Amino acid sequence: MTVKPRESVALRADTNYFLKKRIGYAATYVVLGLIALYTLAPLWFLVTNSLKDQAEIIRDPLGIPRTASFQYIIKATQEIHFFRSLGITFSITFVSVGLIVIISSIGAWILVRNHTRWSQVIFMAFVAAMLIPFQAIMYPLIQFFDTLGLKNVTGLVFMYGGFGLSMSVFLYHGFVKGVPKGIEEAGIIDGCNIFQLFFTIVLPLLSSITVTVIVLNSMWIWNDYLLPFLVIGNSTTKTLVLELYFARILAGQFGNPWELIFPAVLITIIPIVIIFLFLQKYIVQGITDGAIKS
Amino acid sequence: MDFYKKWFWPLLLPSILLFGFVILFPFVVGVLNSFLAWRGTYYFDPETGIRATNLFASFVGFDNYANAFADERFIRALVYTVQYTLVAVVVVNFVGLGLALLVTRARRGAGLFRTVFFLPNMLGGLALGFIWQFIFQIVFTDILFSPEGLMHIPFLRYMTQDSTKALFALVILNAWQYGGYMMIIYIAGLNNISRDYYEAASIDGATPLRTFRSITVPMLMPSFTVVFFLTLSNSFKLLDQNIALTDGEFNTRLLAMQILRTVKDTAPPDYGKAQAQAVIFFILVASITLTQVYVTKKRELEL
Repeated sequence: MTVKPRESVALRADTNYFLKKRIGYAATYVVLGLIALYTLAPLWFLVTNSLKDQAEIIRDPLGIPRTASFQYIIKATQEIHFFRSLGITFSITFVSVGLIVIISSIGAWILVRNHTRWSQVIFMAFVAAMLIPFQAIMYPLIQFFDTLGLKNVTGLVFMYGGFGLSMSVFLYHGFVKGVPKGIEEAGIIDGCNIFQLFFTIVLPLLSSITVTVIVLNSMWIWNDYLLPFLVIGNSTTKTLVLELYFARILAGQFGNPWELIFPAVLITIIPIVIIFLFLQKYIVQGITDGAIKS
Repeated sequence: MDFYKKWFWPLLLPSILLFGFVILFPFVVGVLNSFLAWRGTYYFDPETGIRATNLFASFVGFDNYANAFADERFIRALVYTVQYTLVAVVVVNFVGLGLALLVTRARRGAGLFRTVFFLPNMLGGLALGFIWQFIFQIVFTDILFSPEGLMHIPFLRYMTQDSTKALFALVILNAWQYGGYMMIIYIAGLNNISRDYYEAASIDGATPLRTFRSITVPMLMPSFTVVFFLTLSNSFKLLDQNIALTDGEFNTRLLAMQILRTVKDTAPPDYGKAQAQAVIFFILVASITLTQVYVTKKRELEL
């Protein structure tokens, strides 16, 4: 008889414990849900307001559009020459990232494999260059490329190649050290030349860090504003970001033309959102690896 | 090995060329130009008042630096950048760590939340800046925090039209944008901590707060190093959001924008002065990030 009350206390404490845990768990989801709503709210404004006219945007910015109209989106598509600028942005990003991947991977590999005093000096120079902010070199760079006749899209690609190089060499350098040399020696004995050796044996082994290099560089180049602004400016070969900027500047002299800005922003971010939703596994993995490696 | 040795310079050549043309040469020229009366397309001779015939005639010593420090706008941008960075580093870190702790607590749907929180990162600063400009100017000002709105908070109204308020507007925007990125790094750090420590702690009867302070925080030190580095350098170099939100109006220029706009403020464009500001900016960024990495790395090693 004396045991019974004790038992029930223990039992009550136990259910209390689980109840508490459940409440805590539910609270986590409530908080997460609220933050998710907060995170998505600006994107909700973006989508709904892209379908409204200026008057309705100002009068009722939070509501669902009363008469959803795609005319503003179509108008913005023409205004920012969407398909042309999308093509330009895609080409610049694709070629620049390709250049960075090939040059930095092969460079980092030979830096590790032929370890001399020179290789150490060169590697240190690459690492030290990561400390230089873009502002410190932009004016001489533009002037220099202008005298070379490269103040254009081609020059832009080379500039991105140069800027992406330091970090990419650094990332590859750390990773190549983990690749066993024995595999390469087997390849050499089998008579591979240096390019066969690198592209068929080494590069496939580096694929996980290649993902990181591609992700980090593409995200930056695709969304970059300053370098295209300085190099291309207001010419006909503008990137998406530049088109958006100039559309805003030209239309915004007399207040804010929200009925143009919202759809223009919406169509410039749609491609990247689609890419993200498809490749998010790799993107998140790439960023995690990049953060841990550096 | 000879096999590799033979190929050392040929394979490195493209990297060295790109690096030399894009980074090294312009950097050296930039530092030199900060001591010259550089006007962008030509060098000016202060003695004769015309185009200099050789570079020595254009040499002005530390005049460009003196001019920069005498410029009220530069000093204001410098102070504003430091203030912004201090607030932004703390807030973005809190948001990132908070999100990571919440997401790792959730068992089901964690992936979905992670995707949502990370999404703003994929979008460009300029595009997001325009959306948030609308939120601050219309949604905050006229709807949520107006006298007739949800809650009357004067501080959260007209945030893009006052230098102090705009600083916090920038922080709100960047916490929203970068919080998810930092969360990803913190999640990776949290997942690396062995469950054993937490089990041992719960057997010892440690409170959740104590567990967090004595296990989670010290074990997360490597993640702190990375996140601090990223937030520090990102905040210091911030440009796109600054342009999109206020475009430097109401004394809200950060250093990056100040360097960009100096050549527009002066006629003829004084590239020498802009370049001197850029060199000061480089010294600041380099010394701050190096100190930070050194300090947090040391704390990692002490464990």
